[in-house]
Amino acid sequence: MKYVDEFRDPELGRVLATEILSAVEPGRHYKLMEVCGGHTHSIYKYGVDDLLPANVELVHGPGCPVCVIPMGRVDDGIAIAREPGVIFTCFGDMMRVPGSEGSLLEAKAEGADIRMVYSPLDALRIAKQNPDREVVFFAIGFETTAPSTALTLKRAKAEGVGNFSCMCSHVTIVPPLRALLDSPDLRLDGFVGPGHVATVVGARPFEFIPADYGKPIVVAGFEPLDVLQAIGMILAQLEEGRCEVENQYSRVVPYEGNPRALEVMAEVFELRPHFEWRGLGFISQSGLKLSDAYADLDAEVRFSVPGVRVADPKACQCGEVLKGVIKPWECKVFGTACTPERPIGTCMVSSEGACAAYYNYGRFAREREVV
Amino acid sequence: MNDCGDRCITCSDEGIPMRVVGVDADRELALCATEGGSRRTVEIALVGPVVPGDRLLVHADVALVGLDA
Repeated sequence: MKYVDEFRDPELGRVLATEILSAVEPGRHYKLMEVCGGHTHSIYKYGVDDLLPANVELVHGPGCPVCVIPMGRVDDGIAIAREPGVIFTCFGDMMRVPGSEGSLLEAKAEGADIRMVYSPLDALRIAKQNPDREVVFFAIGFETTAPSTALTLKRAKAEGVGNFSCMCSHVTIVPPLRALLDSPDLRLDGFVGPGHVATVVGARPFEFIPADYGKPIVVAGFEPLDVLQAIGMILAQLEEGRCEVENQYSRVVPYEGNPRALEVMAEVFELRPHFEWRGLGFISQSGLKLSDAYADLDAEVRFSVPGVRVADPKACQCGEVLKGVIKPWECKVFGTACTPERPIGTCMVSSEGACAAYYNYGRFAREREVV
Repeated sequence: MNDCGDRCITCSDEGIPMRVVGVDADRELALCATEGGSRRTVEIALVGPVVPGDRLLVHADVALVGLDA
């Protein structure tokens, strides 16, 4: 397939791995964070980490939209789903995220009308087909998914679909990155930037990373050679003493992003003063809610939402995993009490979660072998 | 899971390359197909005018960028 096969070429991979090997200083430890869960998935699916020198460590960032949803937010969703006459819709992975008293899937088994959708547009279609029911869409995701929700809300308003509303849990990528960079727990040397978020926001919002924190970032695609090349570009910057935003994924990402998407998001959403992230706590101006112009489509206005903060289970160390402080297999319940079939923590739920990636691709409990 | 390669779009934070099959320009919608043949109705309001045969990167049924530019 065009744009896929050439980015999975083993020969090119070997060349890139050799270049990376020659770019690293022996004795120096490099800690690079891939921000996006899609990168984490690719790295373990294709074994990209096995091609890296032993002193290049990959740390998995908070860019999985399911993994960062706190338990209290799931409880809020279940509370709405249990309201009489409600059809509650969400993405499939979200149904398995544990709340304090079970998941949406369990609430569905107990009788709530909860349906999986592939997009907000599907949820709007259900609303049109069920005019006597209230249809709520549980919106999650970063700037990649937020335009989809925004367009659907515009369409609902334009078409006068009065029985449709949205429980907005969209988040933005820059504030958690800033929080991680401010964290004393973590010393990072550079970032593999989120390619698909950048198709919307562009590469410019990441300029604060070199400007304010002196770290390089390379926006990258999701094929194995994309990730490998981006790692090579970060290491080259470090070797040459440069520190800037580079765009490895220029075949898809315009530096300025998608202005139409940003415009529609600005119309439909506004920033919340604070939003709670699983494991990271409350981060200022990191979550989106519906703007005043769309408040009539806000499920949190239409329905009573408990809004209670629920602490993560004590056994679960998703917070440390999301901050890159521990590897998934270092968590006490990884692969035993917590598996993709019966997840305790969010990182084990989504295929983009670091724990699920480690589990599904056999990284149970071993250090990386030296190349 | 759908047939978009071996990845799952159920958390929807996944870009899927799709090819335009038909266009309803008035409603800013297009029928698009994945490499595996799965078809979805896709919002095209965020990309310029498209014609059948164009390739788009699609997130949660919204085209974010053209892939052939």
